[in-house]
Amino acid sequence: MPGMRVLTPFLLSMALLLPASLRAADAQETVKTVCAACHGVDGNSTEPANPKLAGMDQEYLMRQLKAFAAGTRRDDAMSGIIATVDTSDFAKLAAYYGPQKPAPGKVLDAQLAAKGRTLYEDGNTDSGVPACAGCHQSDGKGNARFPRLAGQHQAYTLKQLADYKSGRRATDPLMTTVGKRLTTDESKALAEYIAGL
Amino acid sequence: MLSRCLPGLLLASLGCSLALASPPQERWNTPYAEKTAALELKGDIVRGESAFVICQGCHRVGALGRSDGSYPRLAGQHATVLIKQLSDVRSGRRSNLKMLPFADHQALSMQDVADIAAYLRSLPVPASQGQGPGNDLARGRQLYERDCQVCHGRQGEGKADKFFPRVSGQHYQYLLREGGLIRDGKRRNAHPDMVQAISTYSDDDNAAVSDYMSRLPVDGR
Repeated sequence: MPGMRVLTPFLLSMALLLPASLRAADAQETVKTVCAACHGVDGNSTEPANPKLAGMDQEYLMRQLKAFAAGTRRDDAMSGIIATVDTSDFAKLAAYYGPQKPAPGKVLDAQLAAKGRTLYEDGNTDSGVPACAGCHQSDGKGNARFPRLAGQHQAYTLKQLADYKSGRRATDPLMTTVGKRLTTDESKALAEYIAGL
Repeated sequence: MLSRCLPGLLLASLGCSLALASPPQERWNTPYAEKTAALELKGDIVRGESAFVICQGCHRVGALGRSDGSYPRLAGQHATVLIKQLSDVRSGRRSNLKMLPFADHQALSMQDVADIAAYLRSLPVPASQGQGPGNDLARGRQLYERDCQVCHGRQGEGKADKFFPRVSGQHYQYLLREGGLIRDGKRRNAHPDMVQAISTYSDDDNAAVSDYMSRLPVDGR
């Protein structure tokens, strides 16, 4: 087997060179039959209530799948669906959706978005809302620790802020505090601004 | 029987009165496990920069705070001071409800506290802090030299080993607010000598000395 010793590292390095979409190829079936109906095949959902997943960090997506499975994050649709997905598929699904190209969002009310921008960049010093940009960065592109916000549907962002406030989403105590400190009007302004990032 | 109990009783009551009358100088910075542990940990600047991310939504990038005084500058502050203040907030010795959820044990580990303090100490301090109106600087200087300089230093540099904060480079509005809170006994973790020293300050005195401090030299460090 002398040839094998040469071949194995070669095959391994080839596997590493494959694009993420191909490595996640075996997640395709689950994507098609379970996820795509709400999130789209390319991770850019067209229904504002459902989040765009394209461009989100894989580690972050993985944490959310686990949180839904554990019940620390609850949603009328997702909490039921997650039970039908094999936990060993979570990593593949995150690896499939994360690298997809995010489609831009659409600002519907420029005046509201301008208010949101101030809040996003400066927070509210009276109520102790920190600037979103502190963690999510000015471009809202996100990373493993803090999720991508840029271009997200207004309705979805609004629901998350409300769920943090109510405790339905308990994945991050800092965001629970932020959710509680934001007024409904402030949340609306932020969601509008974030859609245009 | 009584004679055997009496010394114990006497000691017990003595201990009690000692506790009540323990000099405030000791109480302002009493050692407690969490603070001591954080002070003994070696802070790491690189890890501290990463841990500080959750603070910069308020304290801003570079920890420069805001000139409206809503959030202080932390850049360049002594690590000992930062660890004491952060530990005091975490343990309820200094009330800060706005900050608490972002600094409590869910948000930061003790190692994070030590790392953040090391990182903040290493940051440059540009001379861009908010200053006062500049209309009573002679009075401000007179008060500072009489009451403040002995601890906070001629240049406002503070004393790391004594937990005395650096005041140079700090925003006027923040100095003004905290001065008032300390004078009125609302900050709770201030040195009693300071509470005493400024107890007779009028609001104008507080403003004048805060203004003077906000103009102390910074030299970018």
